[in-house]
Amino acid sequence: MAKSSYKQKANWQRMALLAPGVLLYGIFNFLPLLGLLALCLVDWPGIGPMEFVGLKNFTDLFGNPFFRDQLIRAFGQNMIFFAIIIAAMLLLGTFFALLLSFGTKGRHIYRSLFFLPYPLAGAAVAFLLELIVRTRGPLNVLLVQGLHLVDKPIGFLGEPSLALPTLAAFYSWHRMSFAIILILSAIVAVRIQLIEAAMLDGASRRQTLKAVVFPVLAPAFILITVIVMVDVFNNADYTLLLMGPEGSPGRATDIMGTFLFRSAFGGSATTVDVNFGMSAAIGLVTALIILPAALFLALRNLRRD
Amino acid sequence: MERLFKLKPLEQAVVQLILLVYTAIVVFPIGIAILNSLKPNLGEVYRSPFGIPSEWSWDNYAEAWFGANFSTYFMNSAIISLSCVVVVTLCASSTAFVIVRMPFRGSTFLFGCFMLGVVIPIRLALAPLFVIVKSLGLLDSLLGVILVQSASMMPVAVFILTAFLRAVPAELEDAAKMDGALPFEIYWRVVVPLIRPALATVALLTFVQSWNEYFLPLIFLQSESNFPITLGMTQFRLRFDVQWHLMFAGILIMLVPTIVAFLLASRQFIQGLTQGGLKE
Repeated sequence: MAKSSYKQKANWQRMALLAPGVLLYGIFNFLPLLGLLALCLVDWPGIGPMEFVGLKNFTDLFGNPFFRDQLIRAFGQNMIFFAIIIAAMLLLGTFFALLLSFGTKGRHIYRSLFFLPYPLAGAAVAFLLELIVRTRGPLNVLLVQGLHLVDKPIGFLGEPSLALPTLAAFYSWHRMSFAIILILSAIVAVRIQLIEAAMLDGASRRQTLKAVVFPVLAPAFILITVIVMVDVFNNADYTLLLMGPEGSPGRATDIMGTFLFRSAFGGSATTVDVNFGMSAAIGLVTALIILPAALFLALRNLRRD
Repeated sequence: MERLFKLKPLEQAVVQLILLVYTAIVVFPIGIAILNSLKPNLGEVYRSPFGIPSEWSWDNYAEAWFGANFSTYFMNSAIISLSCVVVVTLCASSTAFVIVRMPFRGSTFLFGCFMLGVVIPIRLALAPLFVIVKSLGLLDSLLGVILVQSASMMPVAVFILTAFLRAVPAELEDAAKMDGALPFEIYWRVVVPLIRPALATVALLTFVQSWNEYFLPLIFLQSESNFPITLGMTQFRLRFDVQWHLMFAGILIMLVPTIVAFLLASRQFIQGLTQGGLKE
């Protein structure tokens, strides 16, 4: 009797411990993710009645030139944005991590300094760097008057061809230390066992780097690539903050995140053509694009424990 | 091993030079911001952005602070991020405790549901999320933003805490159970003290992420009295865009709390990055 009442109480308390987390996550995260599957089938401007339209949002997205051109442009520019960032992070990240992994004087100070931008808010970084690269800003003063590299100021965010790479540079400036630290910890982890063995075999420094260090960096490279990919395909903060939901100039900085935002909330105050169903459809398509990468990341982490 | 990684003097010099150049690139924008935030007027910022201010105008910070409701924004950001820290650490640790130590039929499936949130970012489900928040009447309230931001942190927090809990032996809990302790007591007196290091990582990640979050408040808040500092900054920028010295001061005000958090806990930061670097 006493035992069963303990068990009852224990069961009840287990439910009580589980409930808050499950409800919180269920209502505000899991349900919306499942809701994508339902909402993508309706046409609904956010107020008033919903209209069930079946797969029309998807046929519009891939068939109607108005949406298709935006999709192709947003996706293509998102890929360019991603490619610039990942190239910068892997090349420069490996380069700096290697330099820091030698018996470099003051390497702990450098590591801390390099990490400084990482915890800063994206909004603050965006506004700060935007001020720096304005045509009358400090960077242009340095380039024109200081170093005489160019004759007249460069409109980093005003030129359609330069705006997207400039935003990618902002992102890289903000997140570079993430790559440096992951690669550095991979190098440090491999050193102890493998490098000593390689050295006993009489390998030179260059041989050791080529045969031992780089193969071990592959997992870190993959991890960085996947995390950055998931991030840049859902997070459009820089574009939203600096270029607005239309991705000015002339949609040159439009990426998937801004396209999704615009289709639900409109590009400007006067937009009337908004559709939550279309936004859900774009969300679903983007989720499918990043799903292989994201699943890979999840499986890798599950296997680890 | 030491010999292999020791640098010859010339190599050392080259490496130092390269690292100094990158340090300059990292520090340049922040240094420029500090220097120019202290200049008395815009003209001086234009004329010599790298020059020392002719007079040190500390008033700029006061002007930025009072000119743009920074105290309201700061208060809202503090309420949001501290509430998120409390909600996420409590909810995620109790959930992880039940999933790891008291598994039941369906607990693996439940864990899988949490992992879906790690895989698919909530921003993609912006439209359904908006519908739910609206139908609960939580639009334009701090409570709504707190719940949404906490829920978005839950998957990573549950992931970190379950991994940590799986790695510690259950001996203490078993002993407490033998003494007749109920789950509440075991959770509060045994498990929470046990997983404190992982809770610290989760708390730090949650604080920084919710303090820095721009997108979710943008979607769910309308009235300026509810704005956190990230949204407040955009308001500030609308008013002071051309007054660069005040813009720099405002940006620096916004950066201070995260820089302080970083200085206090840089080691946990780097740990959290390698452990739970899933989100970013």
